[in-house]
Amino acid sequence: MSSGNVIGIDLGTTNCSVAASDGGPVVIQPIPQLTGPGELREEALFPSFLYIHGAKEFPEGTTGLPWDDAPKYILGEWAKRRGVENSSRLVHSAKSWLSYSGVDRTAPLLPLTAPDGVTKISPLEASTAYLTHLRQSCHDAQVLITVPASFDASARGLTELAATNAGFTNFVLLEEPQAAFYAWLERHDDWRTRVHNGDKILVIDIGGGTTDFTLIAVGETNGELTLERVAVGEHILLGGDNIDLALAHAVEQELAAKNTKLDAIQLHMLWQRCRAAKEKLLAKNATQRDEPVTILGRGTGLIGGTIKATLRRETLEQVLLNGFLPRVDKDEQPVKAKRAALAEVGLPYASDPRITAHLARFIQQAGAPTHVLFNGGVLHSEIVRQRIVEMLNPVQVLEGEDLMHAVARGAAYYGLARQGKGIRIRGGVPRTYYIGIESSMPAVPGIPAPMKAVTVVPFGLEEGSRVELPKLEFGLLTGEPAEFRFFSSVSRHNDKPGDVLDPIPAEVEELSPIEVNLPAAAEKITRVTLAADVTATGVLELWCVGKNDNRWKLEFNVREQTQ
Amino acid sequence: MSRISNAFSSFFGILFSGALPPDVAKAYGYVKAEVKKPEAPKAPEVKPADGALQLLGILQRDARLVDFLMEDIGAYSDDQVGAAVRTVHEQCGAVLKRCVTLAPVIDGVEGVYTKSEAAGANAKQGLKFIGNVPAEGRAPGGILRHKGWKAAVIDLPKVSPAVNLFIIAPAEIEVE
Repeated sequence: MSSGNVIGIDLGTTNCSVAASDGGPVVIQPIPQLTGPGELREEALFPSFLYIHGAKEFPEGTTGLPWDDAPKYILGEWAKRRGVENSSRLVHSAKSWLSYSGVDRTAPLLPLTAPDGVTKISPLEASTAYLTHLRQSCHDAQVLITVPASFDASARGLTELAATNAGFTNFVLLEEPQAAFYAWLERHDDWRTRVHNGDKILVIDIGGGTTDFTLIAVGETNGELTLERVAVGEHILLGGDNIDLALAHAVEQELAAKNTKLDAIQLHMLWQRCRAAKEKLLAKNATQRDEPVTILGRGTGLIGGTIKATLRRETLEQVLLNGFLPRVDKDEQPVKAKRAALAEVGLPYASDPRITAHLARFIQQAGAPTHVLFNGGVLHSEIVRQRIVEMLNPVQVLEGEDLMHAVARGAAYYGLARQGKGIRIRGGVPRTYYIGIESSMPAVPGIPAPMKAVTVVPFGLEEGSRVELPKLEFGLLTGEPAEFRFFSSVSRHNDKPGDVLDPIPAEVEELSPIEVNLPAAAEKITRVTLAADVTATGVLELWCVGKNDNRWKLEFNVREQTQ
Repeated sequence: MSRISNAFSSFFGILFSGALPPDVAKAYGYVKAEVKKPEAPKAPEVKPADGALQLLGILQRDARLVDFLMEDIGAYSDDQVGAAVRTVHEQCGAVLKRCVTLAPVIDGVEGVYTKSEAAGANAKQGLKFIGNVPAEGRAPGGILRHKGWKAAVIDLPKVSPAVNLFIIAPAEIEVE
């Protein structure tokens, strides 16, 4: 098995993949995984699913892996399959949970529906389990692990922790849309003739579960083109799975009208079959008006129990073009509404399914692009691409992308770029971060003191750099935990360290609080100032700095609920 | 190659056991010269039946092939059968493509005169002469009637010794 000097890991919401290079071309690495009881196979994708099996659920010796005779969980393809038959023990979308500040991300809460007697696990543990598995195919290499550009500092910190817990020692985090763009650079040696000084490239990444936007500006220094990531979008839990689910619901309703009821497993099959039918209808040169969707009988009587339905092109276009990608005005905003009943309990799925509305808001904040690069399976579809191009017009599409493997490939290429074998995108921290301070006002009973926000970390602070705020001083009680409220914005790019926002504007959102625990000391109160580092790994760290340059790290309180 | 051909002949042997029409066996008379008698095969690492059972298990799990072949389809309308066949065909095809890389023995055009040497390295076992076959049993060429298939690569998952491959599909009991 070949393992190169650099390895890119796409740690996806629904699938992971791994790419490697030893300095030469980047190649996708097959990932060994169980595909059934005692059945080991190498696959290009590693589904991000985790199944917590019972002690006697499978015959002895059938859950073992080459590197672990009795793993605690079943991961990958088998977990995904088994989860259809028994969803109450299946953990999925762990990555979305990892970025959700509304729950304690280190507490055992998954699967939400686990029956009594099943030991639940935390989103952090699930991510650690995937990374531990993937580490088996990464020997002594520089590893690049991707995260959504929209991940905030605490979600990045948790990803870093998961990687460390999984045993990785030499790794760096990279944003997925940037990775997709690196993959495009890798495929196009002549990229300097395709983009020019002043161009702005929008990367649209619509994966299975998330949608991510990033804007990269092309500049020029000393006659050489430079690339800089200038804006990222907000975290949107909306993707291809939502589309397939919506199609399945449309077909299910047609079946229900004919008095055909489906059970949970059949519904899942319907979802799969709708995805297949959608891909056929959307394939290039496909002209058929509709595509049959069949659910085979569940017993040995396969034909007798078969349920036949149809996915009509009309339904598909209705769902896609009116539901997910309607034409919207340039000043459109996504609607924030209470969740409809369709949602799973828990994750904060986007309440507005209109991808175009989310895109419109991003353009309002980041500016209009000159070029667009697509990534993610949804963008195989010509009508989806057309609708987006129509909305962004005038815009040029960067052709020759690799929709499915770009993130892992690009991550590996970035590893080479870090060794000086390719151009790097300058980026830094994709958000501005603020700390909350109570305004000094006379106390009014029953009304919390209004907050103002002080800028701590400016947008774009680069890896390996530090900011200090010597003017902002706090008195902290020693021996007691102190907590700070913490805020961020993806759209405010011009606030400088120390700048005060009072009142806090709407585009600044509150994150999990951060806390510090000063050891007990003779003096009851220690005066500290704040400093922030962006580590070489790409993770933000905040520090309280006392006299004699004593430092205490502020930790993200991932246990606290903020929503 | 002996492992592959063994696996295949046993696979189809199991599928069609008992149903093999006598004239098919008779047809083998034509190829007597080509049917290479296995010359004391070196101890295979896998029993021939294992690969066959494994492939059958995968075809059942992923594509319901055994259910389909074992069902009496006489009772159903062509419409009903057709609906199921589309799915079974698509999924069996996917399994086959994933597990066996198939290629034609002669990548030519059927119905056109073709030289026997077009079979290249496969000429010895990969050709069957039909029709007006010369006395010695081989001819320099003829009309290509069937391109033939050969398994270029077999890619079956590794199986733990703990797995009982004779269970093609476990019985399912749904707990209320």
